[in-house]
Amino acid sequence: MGQAGRTTRAGNGIAGRLPVALAGALFAVFAALIPQIAEGHILMLALDWVPALGISLSLRIDGLSLTFALLISGIGTLVLLYSNSYLAGHPHYPRFALFLTAFLLSMLGLVLADDLIVLFVFWELTTVTSYLLIGFSHENATSRRAALQALFVTGAGGLAFLAGLILLGAAAGTFEISAILARGEAIRGHALYLPILGLILAGAFTKSAQVPFHFWLPNAMAAPTPVSAFLHSATMVKAGIYLLARLHPALSGTGTWLWALTIAGAATAVFASVMALRQTDLKLALAYTTLMALGTLTLFLGQSSAYALTAFVTFLIVHSLYKAALFLVVGCVDHATGTREAEVLGGLGRAMPVTALAAAVAAMSMAGFPPFLGFIGKELKYAGALAVASEPALVAGAVLLANALMLAVAGVVAFRPFWRPAAGALPRTPHEAPWPMLAGPVVLAALGAVFGLAPGLLQGALVDPVVEGFLGTEAEAKQLALWAGVNLPLILSLATFVLGLALYAAHRPLRAALIRLDAATPGMDAGWDGFIDALRALAAWQTGLLQSGVLRRYLFITFATVLLGLGGTIVARGVWAAPEGLAGVSWKQAALVALILAGAALAVITRSRIAAVAGLGVTGIGVALVFIVFGAPDVAITQLLVETLVVVLVAVAMLRLPRLGPRRRRPADAALAIGVGAAVSATLLAVLLAPLDRRVTAFFEATSWPEAHGRNIVNVILVDFRALDTFGEIAVVLIAALSAYALLRGTAGRGEK
Amino acid sequence: MISADISTVLPEIVLAVYAMLALIFAVYTGKDKTAGLVVWASAGALLAAAFWIGFSGTDTRTAFNGAFVNDSFARFAKVVILLSAAAVLVMGKDYMARRDLLRFEYPVLVVLSVVGMMMMVSAGDLMSLYMGLELQSLALYVVASLRRDSVKSTEAGLKYFVLGALSSGMLLYGASLTYGYAGTTLFSGIIAAAGTEGLSLGLLFGLVFMITGLAFKVSAVPFHMWTPDVYEGSPTPVTAFFATAPKMAAMGLFARVMHDAFGGATQDWGQVIALLAVLSMFLGAVAAIGQRNIKRLMAYSSITHMGFALMALAAGTAGGVQAMLIYMAIYVTMNVGTFAFILSMEKDGQPVTDIGALNMYSRAEPLKALAVLVLMFSLAGVPPLVGFFGKFYALKAAVDADMAWLAIAGVVASVISAFYYLRIVFYMYFGEDRDGALDGTMSPVLWGLLMASAAIMLVGVINLFGVEGLAAVAAQTLVN
Repeated sequence: MGQAGRTTRAGNGIAGRLPVALAGALFAVFAALIPQIAEGHILMLALDWVPALGISLSLRIDGLSLTFALLISGIGTLVLLYSNSYLAGHPHYPRFALFLTAFLLSMLGLVLADDLIVLFVFWELTTVTSYLLIGFSHENATSRRAALQALFVTGAGGLAFLAGLILLGAAAGTFEISAILARGEAIRGHALYLPILGLILAGAFTKSAQVPFHFWLPNAMAAPTPVSAFLHSATMVKAGIYLLARLHPALSGTGTWLWALTIAGAATAVFASVMALRQTDLKLALAYTTLMALGTLTLFLGQSSAYALTAFVTFLIVHSLYKAALFLVVGCVDHATGTREAEVLGGLGRAMPVTALAAAVAAMSMAGFPPFLGFIGKELKYAGALAVASEPALVAGAVLLANALMLAVAGVVAFRPFWRPAAGALPRTPHEAPWPMLAGPVVLAALGAVFGLAPGLLQGALVDPVVEGFLGTEAEAKQLALWAGVNLPLILSLATFVLGLALYAAHRPLRAALIRLDAATPGMDAGWDGFIDALRALAAWQTGLLQSGVLRRYLFITFATVLLGLGGTIVARGVWAAPEGLAGVSWKQAALVALILAGAALAVITRSRIAAVAGLGVTGIGVALVFIVFGAPDVAITQLLVETLVVVLVAVAMLRLPRLGPRRRRPADAALAIGVGAAVSATLLAVLLAPLDRRVTAFFEATSWPEAHGRNIVNVILVDFRALDTFGEIAVVLIAALSAYALLRGTAGRGEK
Repeated sequence: MISADISTVLPEIVLAVYAMLALIFAVYTGKDKTAGLVVWASAGALLAAAFWIGFSGTDTRTAFNGAFVNDSFARFAKVVILLSAAAVLVMGKDYMARRDLLRFEYPVLVVLSVVGMMMMVSAGDLMSLYMGLELQSLALYVVASLRRDSVKSTEAGLKYFVLGALSSGMLLYGASLTYGYAGTTLFSGIIAAAGTEGLSLGLLFGLVFMITGLAFKVSAVPFHMWTPDVYEGSPTPVTAFFATAPKMAAMGLFARVMHDAFGGATQDWGQVIALLAVLSMFLGAVAAIGQRNIKRLMAYSSITHMGFALMALAAGTAGGVQAMLIYMAIYVTMNVGTFAFILSMEKDGQPVTDIGALNMYSRAEPLKALAVLVLMFSLAGVPPLVGFFGKFYALKAAVDADMAWLAIAGVVASVISAFYYLRIVFYMYFGEDRDGALDGTMSPVLWGLLMASAAIMLVGVINLFGVEGLAAVAAQTLVN
């Protein structure tokens, strides 16, 4: 082995081989189901999970889920085989294989689930495992950032999706997908249809990287190439597409659905194909073409015609086959030469003939040349575009432009590096990749050719059942054929070739122009950093405002909230009671009010603690006098005693505190104090309008003389009806006084030492 | 009659008597030297009480003319409270002993506050409510400032006391208004007086004041300000205690008052609690982003989680109460595990609270890092971990009660809050290599609790250990 020491042909032992075997076995299982599904059966499997919530672990295998399951397990097998060589001898390979296998299983769970909640659980699992996979090279800051970004964007979308699911479940009355699909009418007519659609689209669009949520996908290319091939071409990004397709029968057919998907899809397709041409890194160029494909798929899912949906299924399969093949090819090139830069690579055809061949076949399919499956896909796309319900010319135009750009990109990625003369020295001498790494590209590319020549295979096995699932049994999928006669799609195809070849010829000057344009326009990626910074700033700002650590401010907020709560209730209830009978106020009462106010004012204004305590005492005594004036001398005496005790205790404690600082004006505090006081007064006045429950009063009025021989009800309650309570209270006061004495003595003693 | 009453409250009486005997025993023997023994004995007593209550039948019994209610709801909450308090007591023992904080008052105060919590969730009367609440609060004020020689700890305790006293005052004010207009302090009497067609003005203001007081106890925004300061200032074992049992008790009390006393006026309090829930979820989520101190971070996390539990409560239905109970049980379990880990965060024997210290923790301690990862994902509510189901129940309760806007707000808030949980995972797995990693040692107790908690988050996915069924029964007894 002339390779660097850590790359050995030995692979990674059992950790490398076991996942391949597992994925292969799964593929075999799914392949064995094809005949049943092709006959139109739908296989179901259910297991109760959380019955109280109506969640069951149920699986549903129909045309759509089987198509996805085959793609996932098939491409997964090839990618795992490939990774075992690509990352041979990597110290963390077992971890990598674990993540990748976990991802594969989550993805299968996602497409097979027949319960919205189960689907969501797997949906989030794919997000988490992809986070771990993108961040696999964690020494690298770019890949850490990319991992976090992908996690946030798809995670946020996922939660929006969850909200949408719950609403959908509430609207349909069940979380079972099979049942929801049957209730499309009711859901579309439901009052919550728009929020449901919006939230579910948010989930699907973030996952499938539709504009304007596309920015995370190119960054996610920081992952090892097999991961990109698997997650970012064939599977994870298609989860959003799967979701839209799955819910198509339930949600589609409205104007909102049509326009939302058409606009997002078309914008993504055109934007992405232009951006793809701009890239010099082969992997990034492929990443953008993936975006374009996702946009096109979304665009077709917006429609309900048989043509559009046939185009959707076909293109879904075509794209998975050629894109995974090309990603793996780029991985081979990177592995062999140490670079992925289009401007550096050249002349690899001789050193890597098998890779070059696989690349060429896959690229022909991508570019849409006959007799490959890509050609059929392209024809169908045009037919579908011309059949759209909204603006056929516009849609067809968008598809045409995207396809032409795709052809140019296919040339840049899969043709130039192999067949143009070598441009300069490469970091490593190129060599052909080992067979496990070639298996993927070769098999996938070959499938593109086989299906192209024999489209009937695909039609009967997968396309028909899927389209049937969309449109019901009576509808028929459109024929997949290489030659459908001279019609408008064929003419558009020819136009595509011409335009595409022209773009390829001119791609270098175009690219330079695009790079300038791209640099001049602000992107969402920069916005992402701004968003994260803003979030941090918001956190810091509110902490400074609310969490100052100053008790006085906490109290301010608490009282302000009380004021709001009281004021709000008063306003909401519209209760406002003017104090009645002001005329009857005597001079004695007015004087008492003045005394109380003066005490309060003194307590607030004075700089001396002892004076403040005295001011509080004055207020208390004023209140006691109020009791006397209104004929309750016993209550007044209690109040006086308590007041005296409080003043003494507070004074003793206060005098130990440090001196007050210089006076500061605190108008906000004053306003708040007055506000709370006013609100409480208004509350009391309003509350007193309602008659008090007089049952208790009546009871004591009736029984105080006959049973306790007392006429003063308060006294009777204290010493007779509630005598034991009074005794307890006295005991409590005594204990409190004793403890206070012990405390004060203790601190005084320590102070003297 | 009185013997029947006493047999109904026997667990509480036994625990209270135990606490007083333990206090006398410690004072007259070795004082702080006996603290370790008292901790183990107290944990044992709490555990025994949990089993006693957990297996004491399924009927509803009342005592003291309805002032004390022992129903499925109370039993559910009590078992959660007792188990978590026992776990936290044992967890903190080594930590406190090494820092010379292990005083015998600590376990005694914890047991007393637990007795208060048990009263709270069993309260059937405004007076027993207040007694339970104050018993709990007074014990908590003291443990918050257990580290008497630390300025931070005493300041935290004092702040907590002042704000707590204020909120208690408001609660009392509300209670007296309620009493004045209902003519009784019994919840069953209040709900009868309130009727079903809107509250009278006096009762309405009583309700507003009582919600204010209760919101402070569950640290709902805007009455949350004490939480981060107290979490940070208290010794970590005390913080762990704050994060578990009292939260369950306060939520239980909240549900009890709202449904037992004001159950006919769900439209009056549903919106208020929904508002508290939204504020709590968002503030907790946003404020934690800037935190590097893991204790403050957990404080904000608790605020967000209380917001979720309040969201479930705001639904005002049996489903809502069930969701709240499940949510709290899951939340408390997650917190026990998380704090077991935080207690073990040490560098050269000194406690560390900066999350930067977790850089590349997965390399040094792969198993522990994995357990923390599971807990963080579960706290963030990532499926299929158990934490997700807690959130899901709460969201579903809100949607079923026609509060879709609340559910959507909750989802948005949980996206934001995922940020800081994931940042911890990020540091552990993708961080930068720095020297001075954490000490690898972890006592078997902490290790066991961390692993058990993480394992529950994984295994519980199968059927949530039947908790949902128990919670459903509990909710049925409260709401009917």
